[in-house]
Amino acid sequence: MSMLSSLLGNAVLSGAVLALAGQGELLAERVGVLNLGVEGLLALGGVTAIATVAAGHDPLLGLLAAVGVGAAVGCLFAAATVLARASQVLCGIALTTGGLGLAATLGRPYAGQPAAATFQPIDIPLLDRLPVLGPALFHQSAPVYVAFLVLPLALQLLLFHTRHGLVLRAIGENPAACDAAGIPVVALRFAYVALGAAIAAAAGADLTLAFVPSWSDGVTAGRGWIAVALVIFAGYRPWRIAVGAFLFGLVNALGYLAQARDWGVAPAFLSMLPYLATILFMVLPALSARSRPATTAPAALGLPYYRDQR
Amino acid sequence: MTWTIQRIPEISGPSRIAAYLTAGGAAVAVAGLILRLLGLHPLELGGVVLRDSLGSRYGIEDLLLLAAPLVTCGLSVAVMLRVGLWNIGADGQFFVGAACAAGVGLYGPAWPVLPMLLLMAAAALAGGAAWIAVPALARLTLGTSEIITTLLLNFVARLGVDYLATGPWRDQRSSVTAQSPRVPVPIPRLPHDWHLGRVHWGVFAVLALAVLLALAFRLTHWGYELRICGANRHAAAYAGMKVRRRLGEAMLLSGAIAGLGGMLELAGTVHRLESGLSNGYGYVGIVIAVLAAASPIGCVVTGLLMALVLSAGTALQADGVPSSAAMALTGLILLFAAVGERLAHYRLAVLRPRASGAAG
Amino acid sequence: MLANDGVDLALMPGEIHALLGENGAGKSTLMNVLTGLYQPDAGSIAIDGQVRRIDGPAAAARAGIGMVHQHFRLVPAQTVAENVHLGWSETPWRASARVLEARTASLAARFGLAVAPAARVADLSAGEQQRVEILRVLARGARILILDEPTAVLAPAEVATLFAALRGFRGRGNAVVLISHKLGEVLEIADRITVMRAGRSVATCAAAGASRSSLARLIVGDTAPPPPAKPGAGAPDDAPVLLELRDVGARDRRGITLLDGVSLRVRAGEILGIAGVAGNGQRALSEVLTGCLRPDRGQVLLEGTVVARPDPRTFAEAGIGHIPEDRLRTALAPDLSVAENAVLREYARPPIARGFGLDPRAAGAVARRIVEAAGLDVRDPRVPVRNLSGGNQQRLVAARERRIASRVLVAAYPTRGLDVGAVATLHAAMHRLAAEGCGVVLISEELDELLEHADRIAVLFAGRIAGLLPAAGADPERLGLLMSGQ
Repeated sequence: MSMLSSLLGNAVLSGAVLALAGQGELLAERVGVLNLGVEGLLALGGVTAIATVAAGHDPLLGLLAAVGVGAAVGCLFAAATVLARASQVLCGIALTTGGLGLAATLGRPYAGQPAAATFQPIDIPLLDRLPVLGPALFHQSAPVYVAFLVLPLALQLLLFHTRHGLVLRAIGENPAACDAAGIPVVALRFAYVALGAAIAAAAGADLTLAFVPSWSDGVTAGRGWIAVALVIFAGYRPWRIAVGAFLFGLVNALGYLAQARDWGVAPAFLSMLPYLATILFMVLPALSARSRPATTAPAALGLPYYRDQR
Repeated sequence: MTWTIQRIPEISGPSRIAAYLTAGGAAVAVAGLILRLLGLHPLELGGVVLRDSLGSRYGIEDLLLLAAPLVTCGLSVAVMLRVGLWNIGADGQFFVGAACAAGVGLYGPAWPVLPMLLLMAAAALAGGAAWIAVPALARLTLGTSEIITTLLLNFVARLGVDYLATGPWRDQRSSVTAQSPRVPVPIPRLPHDWHLGRVHWGVFAVLALAVLLALAFRLTHWGYELRICGANRHAAAYAGMKVRRRLGEAMLLSGAIAGLGGMLELAGTVHRLESGLSNGYGYVGIVIAVLAAASPIGCVVTGLLMALVLSAGTALQADGVPSSAAMALTGLILLFAAVGERLAHYRLAVLRPRASGAAG
Repeated sequence: MLANDGVDLALMPGEIHALLGENGAGKSTLMNVLTGLYQPDAGSIAIDGQVRRIDGPAAAARAGIGMVHQHFRLVPAQTVAENVHLGWSETPWRASARVLEARTASLAARFGLAVAPAARVADLSAGEQQRVEILRVLARGARILILDEPTAVLAPAEVATLFAALRGFRGRGNAVVLISHKLGEVLEIADRITVMRAGRSVATCAAAGASRSSLARLIVGDTAPPPPAKPGAGAPDDAPVLLELRDVGARDRRGITLLDGVSLRVRAGEILGIAGVAGNGQRALSEVLTGCLRPDRGQVLLEGTVVARPDPRTFAEAGIGHIPEDRLRTALAPDLSVAENAVLREYARPPIARGFGLDPRAAGAVARRIVEAAGLDVRDPRVPVRNLSGGNQQRLVAARERRIASRVLVAAYPTRGLDVGAVATLHAAMHRLAAEGCGVVLISEELDELLEHADRIAVLFAGRIAGLLPAAGADPERLGLLMSGQ
């Protein structure tokens, strides 16, 4: 495999986790709920998947289990933020801390061991023979295709080409107007926050069953937070999240490459790259976005909705 | 007679504290229930924890030493909460402060202990403030969420400390590969006849800091302006306050305090720069500040309580419960507190039969 | 709390029925009952003779009731087409932008309402937004159209367009309920009028036989009308100029002009009224007058001295009080206590300030005095301002600003949300200030208020002073024309 091919391949592989987690976060944010617990969901999903494949030896089963746990935890988070209307920032931080702690506790028996079963690459016929791009992009595991192709396409259609998507976007912008129009604001917020959490947990399964693939304490390494930043960077659009995730993955992959080729930079500095790049990516669009109001956050993001305050 | 649930837009301090205490108790109860389901005996364990930490001089020393960095991080988060901003990066500022102090202690001038400690503290304050400078600048000029930027810098700080401790500053004479040499300037310990021999004066520095902040918040214009800026930036601007400057000051001060916490931990307790210096103290600091409703004196109280929770985690390790379980409990407490604070806005009220609806 | 008490209202097909009443007379509650937001405790709603249960907005829409609220229920970030189709059962499943815009264009043509389907609602004027609201309601097959204060935000020309559309709707055999407190326009458009007071319907009459004075009596009822505020002598032309704007221009962050060449003098002892339809630069004008907004052109003079770099602190210290139009957003910190909010203007002066320090006892004393002056019944000054009623919040701000206004008080819509008694008190306080030699700038959209209380009236249109005339003998029609830019 050429250097370029392995660089692109690694970018896609590591970007897939961010892409999945980002799409999950996108759903929650589009209906107006800021979920800062993605990091915790990644950890919980990851450890669930590892524990499941240790018993069942089927990566798909592991993924489904992670989705189930993510949905359950998402319901808890939604109950706190949407039903009880507690501070979304606080509940998100609580979900991150609690999720990381719980995952570390539950994952202790599996720490450091390779995953009992992993997602195997699937070749896309014909396309996988392309030079450079073939082995990089079309020799990947199923979650990668879902993250970069299926999910962005599905969400783009859902949000911007269906009646239901119109309602979802409006809930994030002006829940009072939706309520007045007879739309069940609370129920839809609850559902999509839970669905988003399920997808974020699936990203955790992708992390421990396809990308790393093993469980260890701290394996999420801030990816959940990078995913939150990615949604902002992508201007709350499914397609741009996929593109952004690839860019972030590329930064990661460059770090690996530098490490593998020993370019004389201390590994610690290479490991800093994704975080520094994320901050840069957050600042750069803001510098130029003043004239582009179309990519700003949903107006009601982070605000609990009370009927009597409309 | 009809019963209805009324929502009160804003609640008083005491009912908020009551809600937090209830929430904390509920979270501990849930944790106990889980331990019971795992076949352990939570009440007995709780007794052991209390006896170990509060029942012996050794335990109290440990508790105070653990509480010092926790309260400092809590104060750091509280300062920014005052102006309505979140410092999720206290952990990183803590590390940077410790690294700056270690650098001065290891490679700085050979002064006597007291001026040396002051110099280290100054370096740590500056380092912590510098570490939050970029998030502060991005927040105040571009509106970039300080939550994410401060958090991401935690990873960078920890990696940087890792680099120093395993690389250029590594202790060559020790077989441990991930720590610096012993920093030769320790904070003096309390006098012997106080019977808390392992506790250093830094604990009192933290207490003094809390009192100082409480006074500054209550008895200066600056504190009043911070409060208004935090409650409503538009109203602050309308009253002629320099909102951006106040927010910037609060952010830098917050970073500096967390940095100071790192210095105190380094020079008072650990004495070596290593990546295990903070055990997620910055994150626990968020819980501490939130439970204290951003009151500095409250942070001292909630900091001691959280130190008790964390030391319980350590104590439970003997029974096979991993120490990370304490982190999970921290998250649970925070979640319950957030929900409890909201639920405290609701009251059960009796309505007369005929009336309902609202004003036109 | 009782907001509606035994209301009877009968609506005929092919009529425009006006609902008149003071603030708090129960009009909005009645409409919320009709649109299913509140459930009545007693009584019933019948449509075409059949009793219907309306238990939510969707049920109201099914029953053919459509409501256009005073504050639009639109999603500003979305397009006209998206807003028209939001929450509508007939919106096609496949709802891409192109599909929705085509459908919206044909709906607009059918109902004769000119809208741009692809425009973002946030970019539209108030009148255009109202058309979107109406189109949205009509598209859902409404036969009963309820409009709450529809003309409050409209320029006179837009009012004419609206009334034409309403007459067309009536002509097709539908009914309109028009909630208003403007007697003139009600007499112009309505067929019948129902007057509400204290939650009851007190009378229903044909518009043809009614007059302004007969309606006014019904609205106020037996309660004695508030004593007319004693008009001051006004300021002589040679009274000292306290605050002056010279050719001031201001723009917002997007570069849109807010004020354009405004020159204005506030003299000692006068009440200067500012008339105009909301959104013609009132907010910017009040902000420039109080130092909150730095003009990018022209000069601001305090007692004849040019202020080089205006800022709110300088103006407050120079004795300029400011009651802004959006008090909860701008003038108060709702989560903080009454006491903390009361000292917002004086915390940096003695006796509260002592060097860098702040004397809590002195602050408490000042706060108590302000609360007393506001006539608030606040037992504990530590209660958060959010827990006060809107009227009491306004009284708190007014009392606080009166205290510092030793030269000029700038008051934007100060009577909004106040009951009749409080309005009279506020007006009396303004006249007292003027008598003491202060200048008062009263920004209002109620011509009646300005004609009664102001000495001179300046009309603001599109960021410019369209005219400035003495209030005594001013012709309301002339003012109306100036307000619409003619």
